[in-house]
Amino acid sequence: MFALSDQPIDAAAWRAKLASPDAGASVVFEGRVRNHHGGRAVLRLEYEAFGELAVREGEDIVTETEKLYPGSRVHCVHRTGRLEVGEIAVWIGVEAPHRQTAYAASRHVIEELKRSLPVWKKEHFEGADPEWVNCPAEQADSPAVADEFHARQVALPEIGVAGQEKLAISRVLVVGIGGLGCPAALYLTGAGIGHLTLVDDGHVERSNLARQILFTEAETGAPKVLAAAARLRRRNPAVQITPLDVAFGAGNARTLVAGQDVVIDGTDNFAARFLIHDACMALGVPLVQAAVHRFEGTLDVFRRGEGGCLHCHWSGHGAVDLEATASCEAGAVFAPAVGVLGVMQAAEAIKQIVGRGGEAAHQTRLIDLLDGTSQIIERPARPGCPACSRTEAAPLMIGADDSPYFAGSAIAPAGVSPLAIRLIQEGELLAPANDMIDVPAHDLARLRELAAAGPIMLRCRNGVRSSALARLLRAEGLDNVYAWESVV
Amino acid sequence: MSTSPPSAHRLHLQFFARLREEAGCSALELETCAPTPAALYEELQRTRGLRVPRGVIRVAVNARYATMETPLRGGDTVVFIPPVAGG
Repeated sequence: MFALSDQPIDAAAWRAKLASPDAGASVVFEGRVRNHHGGRAVLRLEYEAFGELAVREGEDIVTETEKLYPGSRVHCVHRTGRLEVGEIAVWIGVEAPHRQTAYAASRHVIEELKRSLPVWKKEHFEGADPEWVNCPAEQADSPAVADEFHARQVALPEIGVAGQEKLAISRVLVVGIGGLGCPAALYLTGAGIGHLTLVDDGHVERSNLARQILFTEAETGAPKVLAAAARLRRRNPAVQITPLDVAFGAGNARTLVAGQDVVIDGTDNFAARFLIHDACMALGVPLVQAAVHRFEGTLDVFRRGEGGCLHCHWSGHGAVDLEATASCEAGAVFAPAVGVLGVMQAAEAIKQIVGRGGEAAHQTRLIDLLDGTSQIIERPARPGCPACSRTEAAPLMIGADDSPYFAGSAIAPAGVSPLAIRLIQEGELLAPANDMIDVPAHDLARLRELAAAGPIMLRCRNGVRSSALARLLRAEGLDNVYAWESVV
Repeated sequence: MSTSPPSAHRLHLQFFARLREEAGCSALELETCAPTPAALYEELQRTRGLRVPRGVIRVAVNARYATMETPLRGGDTVVFIPPVAGG
């Protein structure tokens, strides 16, 4: 619970609320009025709040904290009005089953309060005019550049003041906050990009912790994007972070990608990779993609109209590989390999933003951490690639509005009644449906055979796999394959 | 975004902390053509001498955080939020 109080905080009474028998840990934080600031003697403080918003925001912070640190219960009260030295300005009590959770949750509450609770404090000094804390009268010329935080980066001639200013107004989307997304987001935040959007609908699991370096044991079970956002904000408060606890799918791809300066693909499966790629190419947004298998990784920068696209390489045999590499969730992976590749993704994204992308959009880089080698392979556009060579008049996907690559909603044209096919994944048990036939998602031969006989419409659980497979089959020249974007 | 000229609407404004002192009042009814908080803040900087830089201001519309580009409608309550300092 959260409260504002214009009366002194009775710490003992609040503390008495922390008495749950299932809590093995309780942490109390008291923020107090100190008698000095910036070398000057402070006599007293005045706190002013925008009450209606402050209460709502405080309750949201408490709710988010309890979600982010499963098992925690948070009580918080913030003072308003005149406070003397030594008085409690904010009181936060957390109880949780374990100490990691209690400490982390307590820390999160105070950091979030300081970031967004509409409360202001005026310091009264001895022998000087009172001042509102944190509130400058005039703005520095360019805070992004003047800030010493970025000094070593600004000192690079390849970045400099102009590059730092570009970074400070840039927007980057990171899809997948896992082994790749964590280090990528960490270095992008450190670099001082303007706005970072994080997309992932997963939760932190114990098996993630060894390589997904934004998370600790305290966040186990929490939505990944919330845990990541909390860490990243603490690392560089100047970066605006938007955590979106959603899956990247055919239904939201265009909205998420539009307006970004660069997209980082940190997903772990081919279906999502094609979808992200196609959305980026459709909208002309540079994409930095990496993939890791065991000790090896590949890195690609895709820019529309430069170098080969993803379909140039995978058309024809993609779906088989797609299933073979469908997910590394249960697979073996060398943690430093995702770390290195994720950091390289951040580096390529920064270079794209400051205009130092070089030849990256024409190359695939291979990194092997087992034998310590790296290799650059030229990646030219393949003449006759069905995706690259398509025009707006003959889009790759039915329903594509402005691009040979992407369809927002793959609806069959009037007069076509495709056979509905439900893609079944290994081990998936679904109730039989009499208006659809079931085909294993990896059975490319069967799908080709059905497509040759007449128009088919692919469906799957979240629309990612169906649209990826439809793209691949259409890229092979099977023009009557459609995908359904939403849930079956 | 509409390109038609913005029409005047009546807004409720509240001011806190430094902005309250600069505005010289804690609340204000204002007839304005400003279509967004960004435009409204610029207007207030001109007309009421607000000095807190635009770059550090956030805004709440009807007691919820909003963006500086949120379209404003007649009757909205707009609060500009100078840098906060809780805790």
